[in-house]
Amino acid sequence: MILGFVPGTGALHRLHPFTGLSLAGAVVVLAFALPAPGGAIGLSAALAVLGLWSRLPRVLRTAAVFAAPFWLFLSLIHVVFGDDPTRALTVGGQITAILLGFLLVLASVHPGRLVDALLEKRVPFSMAYLFAATLQAVPRLQARAGIILDAQRCRGLPVNGPPWRRARAVVPLTIPLVLGALAEVDQRAIALESRGVGTPARRTPLAPPEDSALDRSIRVSLLILSAGVVLIRVIG
Amino acid sequence: MTALRFDDVRFDYGAGPVLRGVAFTLEQGDTMALLGPNGAGKTTLTKLVVGLLHPKSGGVWVGGRTTQGRTPEQMARQAAYVFQHPDQQLFARSVAAEVAFSPRLRGLHEDETRELVRDVLTRTGLESVSEEHPYDLPPAQRKLVALAAALAQQPQVLVLDEPAQGLDRAGISRVTAIVREVAAEGVAVLAVTHDLAFALETLERSLVLVEGEVEYDGRSQDLFQDETRLWQLGLEPSQVALLSRELDLPGRPVRVDEVTNAIARLAAP
Amino acid sequence: MSIQFESLSFRYPGSGSEALRGVSAGIDAGVVTLVTGMLGAGCSTLLLVAAGLAPRVTGGDRQGVVRTLGHDPESQEGHHALAGRVGLLLPTPWTQLSGMSYTVRDEVAFGPANLGWKRDQIADAVDQMMALMRVEDLAQRDPRTLSGGELQRVMFAAVAAMDPDVFLLDEPTIELDPRGARLVYDLLPQLAEDKTVVIASTDLDRAVEVTGRALLLDRGRLVADGDPREVLGSASAASMGCSTTIAGIMRSAGLEPVYPLTVHAALRRLGR
Repeated sequence: MILGFVPGTGALHRLHPFTGLSLAGAVVVLAFALPAPGGAIGLSAALAVLGLWSRLPRVLRTAAVFAAPFWLFLSLIHVVFGDDPTRALTVGGQITAILLGFLLVLASVHPGRLVDALLEKRVPFSMAYLFAATLQAVPRLQARAGIILDAQRCRGLPVNGPPWRRARAVVPLTIPLVLGALAEVDQRAIALESRGVGTPARRTPLAPPEDSALDRSIRVSLLILSAGVVLIRVIG
Repeated sequence: MTALRFDDVRFDYGAGPVLRGVAFTLEQGDTMALLGPNGAGKTTLTKLVVGLLHPKSGGVWVGGRTTQGRTPEQMARQAAYVFQHPDQQLFARSVAAEVAFSPRLRGLHEDETRELVRDVLTRTGLESVSEEHPYDLPPAQRKLVALAAALAQQPQVLVLDEPAQGLDRAGISRVTAIVREVAAEGVAVLAVTHDLAFALETLERSLVLVEGEVEYDGRSQDLFQDETRLWQLGLEPSQVALLSRELDLPGRPVRVDEVTNAIARLAAP
Repeated sequence: MSIQFESLSFRYPGSGSEALRGVSAGIDAGVVTLVTGMLGAGCSTLLLVAAGLAPRVTGGDRQGVVRTLGHDPESQEGHHALAGRVGLLLPTPWTQLSGMSYTVRDEVAFGPANLGWKRDQIADAVDQMMALMRVEDLAQRDPRTLSGGELQRVMFAAVAAMDPDVFLLDEPTIELDPRGARLVYDLLPQLAEDKTVVIASTDLDRAVEVTGRALLLDRGRLVADGDPREVLGSASAASMGCSTTIAGIMRSAGLEPVYPLTVHAALRRLGR
C-alpha cells in the first residue's frame, strides 16, 4: 500500500511541487462541482489514466483498496436497501476521485523539493519542514506498524480470521505504535537540531525545483477550470 | 529430532540475492552465534526461521516441520524471536501481563499461565518488577522483559537479535546464564551478534555468513583460536584470545573463566 | 577549552533524580576524550548538554555553567553561533534521519545544505565523508532500506560533512560489525588532532586503544577524570564493570589494582 512518496521519474514526478499541490486542490473542487454522477466518475477515470501514464500503478491499487469499502457501503445503502443508484455513483465517484488525487500527489511530491519550493517563497523552515513531514507521517507510521505487526505475530497474535479475533489484535498493535510515534516526535526534534536545522542560515536547495512555463500554465489552467466549473454550477 | 534445519536456502528481496544456498542444522540444546558483516543476510536468515519470510528455494524446518505455508503466528509455538529493539512489541500494563501474552494466546489454562510466568520471571530476574509497567523500566530491563516473553512461548528454537546490545556486564551475564539454562533444557538458541566476546562466552557454535553464504560453521572456540581465519572472515580475535596467545597458555583457552584461572596460577607467588 | 562544565547539574522534566550532579571538567582538542559509566550514569546527557540540546529541546532544568566553543549553548546567541560547529551523533541512527531524503547522498548533504553552503562545497564534503566512511556504494540507496550498521556509518558521514569543530559521538559503533567499528575507532585520533572529539562508549576494549583522557560518571557524578589507565584501571571502575575485558580478568585472577587495560599492559604486569 502506497501512502507516501515513491521515488520515480514519471510525469507527475517532474512537476513542480506547487503544481502537484494545485492538482490535489483542483481535484477536491472539481469532485464536488462537476455535474453528478458522470463528473466525478469521469474525474476518477482521468486520474487513473494520469496515474498509469505517470508509472504509479501501485498507487492506483492502494486507492482501489481504500475505496472498495465505501463502494460496498454505498451500494448497500443506495442500491440494495434503497433505490438511488445515482447517489451511490456520485458519492462513490467523489470519494474515489479525491482519494486518487491525494494519493497520486503524495506519491509524486518529493518532500525535500517541497521544502525547497516553500523556502523559495520565504516560508520559514520550521513550517515548511512541518508541512512536508506531515505528508510523510503516514508512511513512517506504516513502516513502524509493519514492524510491530511482525513482532506480535511472532508471539502468536492471529491477524486474520473472524472480526472478534482481529479485535483482540487492536491493543497489542496500537499501543506500541502510539508510544513509539510519540517518542519519535521527541527524538526527531533532537535529530533535526543536530543536522543544522533551526539556525539563521538560509538552506541551500539540493535540487531546486524548476518552475517551468508548463508548470505555470498547468496551475493556471487548473485554477480556471475549477473556478469555471464552480461558476457554471452556481449559475446553472 | 533436529531443532532447526536450513536446506540449501535461497532468498532475495527482488534486488539481488541475499541468501545463496544456506545450509546448516541445529540439534536440540545447541547454541549458535550468527556472525558476519553488516548486510550479510543475518537478519533475513532469522526471519526465515520464524516464518516472517519464506525461502525462494530450499527449505527451512523447525522441529521437523517445514515453515512452508505457515504464518509467524502458527510458528510461534515452535520458534520465538526476541527483536533487537523491544519497544516494538511491549504494550501490556505490567511485566507479568506482557509475559503472559503468548501463553494466553495459546489457550493455556490461567493456572498454568501463572505458573509459567512466575518461573520465567524468576529466571530473568524480573520478579521484583513483575507489576511494573514495562515502559517505566530502563531500556536494559525492557530487553529482559522481551526475552522473558519469548521464553514464555516455550519454543523449540529461540532466536535472539543482538541480545547483548545495550546491556551492561551484569545484564550480559544474566543473558548468558539464561541461554545456557534453556539450552540445557533442550532449546536450540540462535543469536545474531556483533559482540564477539559474547558469542565466544555464550554460544558453542558459530556460523559466519558473508554475502549470503556460509563461510564457517563450527565450534566458536575453534574459530576464535584461528586468528588468520578470523581476519579473513572480517572478524577479529577477542582480547582474551590475544592474551592467551601472547602468554602461550597451555591449550590456548579463549574463554574468560579458563584464561582467568590460568592467569591466577601464573600470578600466584 | 572547547567545552567547559562548571558544577553542571541537570534534571530531566518530571524526573525525581538528577541526571548530572555538579560535574566540572574542561575538554579540548588534541586527544580523544572518553566519557563512560554504567548504563544511565549520564554520559548521553552530558553530550546533549554540551550540544545545547538539553534542556533547550529535551526540556528540564540546568544548573551551573556550560561553555561550548566559548558560548553558552543554551542561549539564543549561543545556539546561532554554534550552528554547524557541534556535530552530535546519536546512538540510534534511524532517529537521526532527516525524513526528507530518498538517497544516501541527499541524506549526507542535508546538514551542509541547512547551513547554507554552496552546492559545489556541499558536493565535495559529501564525496569526502562518504569515502571516509566507506559508504560510496550506498550513494543512491534509499536510507530507509539500509541496515543499522550501514545507516550508522552514513550518519557519521552526514554529521562529519558539516565539518564541525566539536564531535560528540554517542556510541558511534554500536550497530557496526567489527570491521566498521575498527574503521571508526582508527579515525578518531587523527580527527582529534584538530577537532575536539568526545565519545560516550561502553565498548571499552576498543575505546582504550585510542583514548587519551577518560571521564568516569557514576549516577550523574564525575568520579574520576584523567589518564584512562588510572581511571579505568581503578578498583572502583572495575567493580562497576566500567573497564576492559582484560582488566576484568586480571581482577578476577586476584591481581591488585591498578589493573592493566590492554594485552600489552597485561604482559608487562605479568613480567613477560
